[in-house]
Amino acid sequence: MSKTKRGMAAYVAALFGFLYLPLGVMFVFSFNDARRNVVWRGFTLKWYKALFHDAELMSAMLTSLELAAAAAAIAAILGILASYAMVKHKPFRGRGAYDALLNVPLMMPEVALGVGLLTFLVRAGYELDFTALACSHALICLPYTVAAVRARLISLQESSLEDAAMDLGATEWQAFVKVTLPLAMPAIISGALLSFTVSFQDFVTSFFVAGIGIVTMPIKIYSMMKFGVTPEINALSVCLLLATFTLIGLNAAFAVRPDEASRH
Amino acid sequence: MSRALSWLLGGRRPLASHLLLAPASLWLLFLLVIPAGGLIALSFAKNGAYGAIVWEFGLQNYRRAFDHKYLPVLFRTLGFAGATTALCLVLGYPVAYFLTFRAGRWRNALLVGLMVPFWSSCLVAYYSWMIVLGKEGLLNTALLRFGFLSAPIGFLYTPFAILLGLVYFYLPFTILPLYASLDKVPRSVIEAAYDLGAGRWTAFWKVTLPLSLPGAVAGCVLTFIPCLGDFLTVEILGGPRYYLLGNLISNQFMMAQDWPFGSALTSILLAGLVGGLWLYQRWEKA
Repeated sequence: MSKTKRGMAAYVAALFGFLYLPLGVMFVFSFNDARRNVVWRGFTLKWYKALFHDAELMSAMLTSLELAAAAAAIAAILGILASYAMVKHKPFRGRGAYDALLNVPLMMPEVALGVGLLTFLVRAGYELDFTALACSHALICLPYTVAAVRARLISLQESSLEDAAMDLGATEWQAFVKVTLPLAMPAIISGALLSFTVSFQDFVTSFFVAGIGIVTMPIKIYSMMKFGVTPEINALSVCLLLATFTLIGLNAAFAVRPDEASRH
Repeated sequence: MSRALSWLLGGRRPLASHLLLAPASLWLLFLLVIPAGGLIALSFAKNGAYGAIVWEFGLQNYRRAFDHKYLPVLFRTLGFAGATTALCLVLGYPVAYFLTFRAGRWRNALLVGLMVPFWSSCLVAYYSWMIVLGKEGLLNTALLRFGFLSAPIGFLYTPFAILLGLVYFYLPFTILPLYASLDKVPRSVIEAAYDLGAGRWTAFWKVTLPLSLPGAVAGCVLTFIPCLGDFLTVEILGGPRYYLLGNLISNQFMMAQDWPFGSALTSILLAGLVGGLWLYQRWEKA
């Protein structure tokens, strides 16, 4: 009995090894003092130094950060309004349809989404600029924001603090600003961080929708990869991974635990 | 102003609800529904000179998608998606089982650990696989050093590399629904099987496995459908010889400038997606 148990634990460990192998390889070789060979040649930080002296790379980083911030902000506003109506309002006709529609960006293959946006924007005569890309990214971020905010609003519903505020004479608007919004803030931030991560790492949508002048980080990495393997990409990837881990950690800190709502 | 906002938030009229949902709906309408409709319309048009679009209604693009040149791509896409799904299910089931019944206090940490590679960029992970699988890569170097090989093998740009990349990326999509479904199996039912004299294997085959079937099917759907539209894996680990539907679509828009044909291919992909989800829903209701 304990033999199968141990065998299973070993298998799971091996599978996790498989999942983490690329991340580990990247980390180790970002410090390797060799350009082409994968054999270890000694420790160096030169690839990291090279990153920070690469002006194109830094500008791509800036573009990606701006883009992710814009997309997360748009998705947050759209998501708060939508989830408020879905949760707080009494059931209305068409709620099911909205519900289904809000989840479509998750199920839609990104290639289909990308070429659809590309043809639509070009045919409509709209320039493929930063705004177009930010709006497209907001679309793929929207389901994440809605999911996060909605879960929080549902759990707040049970504590009926907003009703209490209104019983004490607050208008709906006051109750929203003074009670609901502050209580929902952790979920809003968590959703926004998730959106930020989604947008920051998105390659496929940007690949199709970004015009010639707009180079995001993943697009830059992709074009570097086309030129072949260079250790700089490892260093860059490690930086991106650390950024992602930080975002996920922050997100976990803000995420709502199911038992939390009742404590307020 | 404040009164109008209160009216909007109060939601005693359906109009208020629709107004609050309007920004999100407009976004979805203009950036999702209309573009998808546009693609479907475009798929019936003709490609003119220099990528111009000639609005002559016809099925020529669909006929072309199913002719002897492109049909293999469609079958290959189905094949890779099917193989990936099967592999993910077989490889992922023990992990989901372990997480549910054996992981104990490590469970949450392992669940998060499972999601981390998924949240790290796919592009970056595939780049790393390139380093591992390349001719001068880690795997070849190791195999040569330990004498398993006399000359390096090109692992990269093979079906093996594609399958590895797909399984690597989609494994969490299979494991998480499986885990959710296994977690719902009442322990008392399993114990009842033991009490009635079932051994470990019998209890697993007759009780746990059948009860986890909904999760297995959900996991398969969540793996198979995104696999059909995958594009990056073959782009990086596969190369043009093994183009799948996603790559073919991308090429029509980015290289060949044949938008009508690309639209027809995308419509086929979307039809496959809708069909798959429809079948899944019917199965779920039955």
